[in-house]
Amino acid sequence: MPEHPRAGGRLLDVSTDPFVADERGWTPVNPRLATGRRVVSISIAALVTALLVVTLVVGGYPELGFIALMVGLGAGLWMWWLIGRQVRAIGYAERDDDLLVVSGILFRRLVLVPYGRMQLVDVRRGPLERYLGLATVQLHTAAATTDATIPGLPPDVAGRLRDQLAALGEQRSAGL
Amino acid sequence: MTPPRRTHPVTPLVTGVRAAPVLIIGIFVVGDGAATDIFGGLGTSAVITLILLAVGLYSYIAWTRLEFFYDDDGDLRITSGLLVRNERRVQLSRLQSVDVTQPLLARLFGLAELRPDVAGASAEGTTLRYLSLDDAQQLRAELLARAAGMRSREGAAVSTAPEQVLVQVPPPHLLASLILQPGTVVLVLLIPAVVAVAGVAGVWELGITGILLLAAPITVVGGQFLKYFGFTVAQSPDGLRLRFGLTSHRSQTVPPGRVQAVRIERPLMWKPWGWVRVVVNVAGTAGGSEGEERPSVVLPVAPLPVARAVLHRVLPGVDPFAVELHPAPVAARWRAPLQYKNLGVGSTSSVFVTRRGWLVPRWDVVPHARTQSVRVVQGPWQRRLGLASVHVDSTPGPVSIVALHQQADRARTIGQEQARRAGLARRLGGPGQPESATLPPDDQSADDARFW
Repeated sequence: MPEHPRAGGRLLDVSTDPFVADERGWTPVNPRLATGRRVVSISIAALVTALLVVTLVVGGYPELGFIALMVGLGAGLWMWWLIGRQVRAIGYAERDDDLLVVSGILFRRLVLVPYGRMQLVDVRRGPLERYLGLATVQLHTAAATTDATIPGLPPDVAGRLRDQLAALGEQRSAGL
Repeated sequence: MTPPRRTHPVTPLVTGVRAAPVLIIGIFVVGDGAATDIFGGLGTSAVITLILLAVGLYSYIAWTRLEFFYDDDGDLRITSGLLVRNERRVQLSRLQSVDVTQPLLARLFGLAELRPDVAGASAEGTTLRYLSLDDAQQLRAELLARAAGMRSREGAAVSTAPEQVLVQVPPPHLLASLILQPGTVVLVLLIPAVVAVAGVAGVWELGITGILLLAAPITVVGGQFLKYFGFTVAQSPDGLRLRFGLTSHRSQTVPPGRVQAVRIERPLMWKPWGWVRVVVNVAGTAGGSEGEERPSVVLPVAPLPVARAVLHRVLPGVDPFAVELHPAPVAARWRAPLQYKNLGVGSTSSVFVTRRGWLVPRWDVVPHARTQSVRVVQGPWQRRLGLASVHVDSTPGPVSIVALHQQADRARTIGQEQARRAGLARRLGGPGQPESATLPPDDQSADDARFW
């Protein structure tokens, strides 16, 4: 699997950016995740736009309908581009003692979970995820605020990650 | 299995007294028409008598059906239910604390309810109501002793662990501290302003509204005053014991080693008196509707040296004020102009400390061994200023730890260091071990004024 030198696909200054990868790099998630998310958000956008356009045209305002169509198209394109960036911004790194998950473009976040603190590792597969051949791995600690979720993993990678994390968690002691 | 025991014989009377008025009012107000139809021939007093009889009978049968005993594993079992039998098991190995509370009505009869708090279980089914206060305290001592692995021989009385009173909050102090909170002060100051505006503009309705606004702070301050009245902190072998409340008396135990994080706050108006408040996160107290019943406030108000002594009991050997804090960079002024001066982060070999807040400056402390995970976050405005915040996740509770607006390049280092220390402390501490169950040596009151 190719390793991306950084999340987000942009060059960032190492000295001031807290979200750069260390020497091992971020493992990116599968780009099919972007496909899934695009399908969902663009179909919602398309539905809303279609309803709006039909209402406006039937109601006798074809010009407004045209504007709405253009706005809808623009929003769709923007979402297409944004989702691509968002998915590219997600990355994780399995280090010796902890797991790192990075995500977000505008509001960026990096979650560090020491293996010894993991209480539970979940693997989830929704209907769309199953269709796309993807899975989501979520880590739970005793803190409710821990939000370490890695979406868009191929099932075999997700399973391997879960087993590995569980083993590491056990090894690094458990408890509260 | 031990022979089953029952709650106090007066219980049906109390539960009946509690339920009857509601039923009577319900039937006469809500179901007025139906009640007259059904009981048409009977007089009002006859209907009330009937209801009282029914309630009394129900309460009595419910009382006879509720029994508790220790099963063969040594866990507490509670069976109850009229038609559907419920059997609940309180797994003592997972017991976090036992609360003895005295709601107003129970108090009139000298009774108390006992609520064992078990990790991940709701308190509703396991609350024993009502026991006499002595029985409740004895049962609590017994449960805690059993939980601590000291199996008592059947029948042998277990004495309530001896306790040593550390702090008693005088009611005038409590009242003063509650009035001197930013929320109360702002509201009280707002009212003359509203009244004055009303007077100038000649809108008398507004003036009345302003005066009515006074009800809000009075309710809040009054409620808190009743809740924390007579707050007593005592040290006992099974942990720090808290007792408080005027109308509804509560008693909570904070077992040693269960404290996950501590917050010390000092509202601006308390500064001249050197008062602080101490709040904690305790493990196994995951929110829920009973959230407020869990220990959270360990000390509603106290002078700093006293608070420190208590702090030494909940986090042995930790003095957050002795930790050198790294201030936020100047750029943080543009992101958080008000609390900028109070921002700071630091750590010692055992704890991570952050400072923030403007009207209520606070110190948040989390031991490395209690750090669950770490988050580094950055919003767009922070990025422009070269800042980032580091959150340290603790178990659910009132205390949240965040190093706000640190220099972006340092933030990653702070986060990574903290995650590393969390893992390290874990491995050294061993699984599930309380950090130190022994009492610390008597508190030294050196360098009190360090940050005050």
